[in-house]
Amino acid sequence: MLKRTVALALGLSLGVSSAAFAGNWTGGDDLPTNPLACDGTPGKAEAKPYDGGVPTNAPDRKAKPIKVVDVPKLIGIGYFNATSKGIAEAAKELGNVEAKTDGPTQANIDQQISFIDNYITSGVDGILFAANDPVAIAPVLKKALAAGINVVGYDANSEPDARQWFVNQAEFNGIAKSLVDNMAKEVGEDASFAIVTSTFTTPNQARWIAEMEAYQAKCHPNMKWLETVEAQEDNVLSFNQATTLINKHGDDLKGLFGMTSVATPATAEAVTQAGKCGKISVIGLATPNAMKPYVEKDCVKSVVLWNPVDLGYAALQVLRATADGDLKPGATSVKAGKLGDLQVINGSEILLGAPFTFTKENIKDFDF
Amino acid sequence: MTATLRSLLRHETILAILLVLVLFALATQSDRFFTTANLLNQGRLMAEVGLVALAMTFVIVTGGIDLSVGSILGLTAILLGVFWHNLGIPLPVAMVLAIFAAGIGGLVNGLIITRFKVPPLIATLATLALYRGLAEGISQARSVRGYPDWFFVLGQGEVLGVPTQLWILGLLVVIAAVILGLTTFGRATYATGANETGARFSGIGVDRTKLLIYTASGLVAGLAGVIFVSRVSTTRSDMGTGLELDVITAVVLGGTSIFGGRGTIIGTVLGLILMQALKNGLALSGVKGDGTIVVIGLVLILAIVASNLFSREGDG
Repeated sequence: MLKRTVALALGLSLGVSSAAFAGNWTGGDDLPTNPLACDGTPGKAEAKPYDGGVPTNAPDRKAKPIKVVDVPKLIGIGYFNATSKGIAEAAKELGNVEAKTDGPTQANIDQQISFIDNYITSGVDGILFAANDPVAIAPVLKKALAAGINVVGYDANSEPDARQWFVNQAEFNGIAKSLVDNMAKEVGEDASFAIVTSTFTTPNQARWIAEMEAYQAKCHPNMKWLETVEAQEDNVLSFNQATTLINKHGDDLKGLFGMTSVATPATAEAVTQAGKCGKISVIGLATPNAMKPYVEKDCVKSVVLWNPVDLGYAALQVLRATADGDLKPGATSVKAGKLGDLQVINGSEILLGAPFTFTKENIKDFDF
Repeated sequence: MTATLRSLLRHETILAILLVLVLFALATQSDRFFTTANLLNQGRLMAEVGLVALAMTFVIVTGGIDLSVGSILGLTAILLGVFWHNLGIPLPVAMVLAIFAAGIGGLVNGLIITRFKVPPLIATLATLALYRGLAEGISQARSVRGYPDWFFVLGQGEVLGVPTQLWILGLLVVIAAVILGLTTFGRATYATGANETGARFSGIGVDRTKLLIYTASGLVAGLAGVIFVSRVSTTRSDMGTGLELDVITAVVLGGTSIFGGRGTIIGTVLGLILMQALKNGLALSGVKGDGTIVVIGLVLILAIVASNLFSREGDG
């Protein structure tokens, strides 16, 4: 009995004391935020020297057929199906790239690392990735660079020196502005809102939330941020978390942000089932197909995203340009097939464009 | 006794033959599979699952199960980061403390199971949620990074050309095999799983045995957690999610009976290697991830059905 009590007390005090030291939410990373101006003046792109990595003894691949593997965070969800469709389109257009998508069925850092590791051993020329964790994936990507493989990221970045280029779908502060502005427009300047995200450490979501916090404090200071909950990238869990938020905060809750393409439709479904359509606004990042039912029923008014098909397309174009030696450190833009010239930002990132807001008027025109 | 011994050997023999066949088949599919570099690298990737599987063999031999190992791994990773980064404890001490905390996690499992008579499945299902929740609560979404270079020797480095964690795994395999196969404690473990009431009446300290085994399970999960952090150079609260399934698959594939009383460390090691070889070899020969999972499921069923068929013939 004594032993048991001591063990339990130890366990508890360990948990509690550590929790007390952990401090407040800081957005999951320690990078500074850079909120945009409230009135829509575009942010300035600062010139920064190239900070990406360089493959060791990469063979001359100019115009030669290359084998590329794409390892997204996970496979089998609409979003990454769309990026891999874009990759396939670009491969077909280029004609000299053999590309395939393979990855874990869960957004799991360990499995993603194993997949990349196996493809390095099997001998590919290029790797495209969307990182589940920017730091955890770095050692295996550096191993790929050391093996002379061209490495390009898209969607979710790694540490810069672990890959050559990163195709950035939209700048974090741009997405954050778009989300918060739409929310303020729908629910008013003094309303309360909550956020459903994947996990606190997922790089994109963590960054967006940090930028949202900064932008909201700067431009919509009277809005109240109730809380942020984790829901992995899991449909059922997202629905449950959203339902819990609705029940817990009652009439205080005026708006819900969904931070992933899984969380947003699940959150909209939770609001619909709770009979709160029109009372609680849902705004989030999602693919249009998943959101069409809710947008058509007027339950959701704005869905913010970029075009993931274009994102995959651009990623493979950038990889080809890198393998050909056309895209070198220090370049300011790159030709990306039908997308035209894309701008290089932050040293070693390529910007896809400004975020796009889907509304009832335009969502019919998109199918992905 | 000789009959059980024979049936034990039989499962491992079948598994060994299957493993040789699989290795041979995979080697013909890809010339990059059977290279020293690849095999050592695979050893590195399977070390964490392997470590936990050793203790899990003991747990399952007693007729129990420990579903909380993945969560303990995650909690250890977070505690390591918090101890070192937030509390400023020197890293070697933080490593020891984190593993010690994992041991407490295992001990709590054992106490719930033995003192409160909660079935292991329920008890560890509860602590699976509890420990993961603690990990997420303590970490508050903050990853701890920037470990010193010497720390990465554990997860990314080599000693005499062999990945560091493979030495640790090898050492623990020998220790676990000796304890389970040759000591009184090992026999008490089998007796507990084969017939718990009988074991109690024979004067075997069933509760003490279980308590030690669940604590050990926590400790090795903690060790695996520290190695994992060193391998991926960061801590995250979702580390080790789903680990328990890989571990249990390897142990069961290795011939350990889920009803207890039967199983060997050699079997677990064979099951582990077979699983890792399949994952790696199929990927190298161009099979996609979802296809690999299907094959592993089929092999698991095949191995167990084959083993059951042969042992039934042996009994008759």
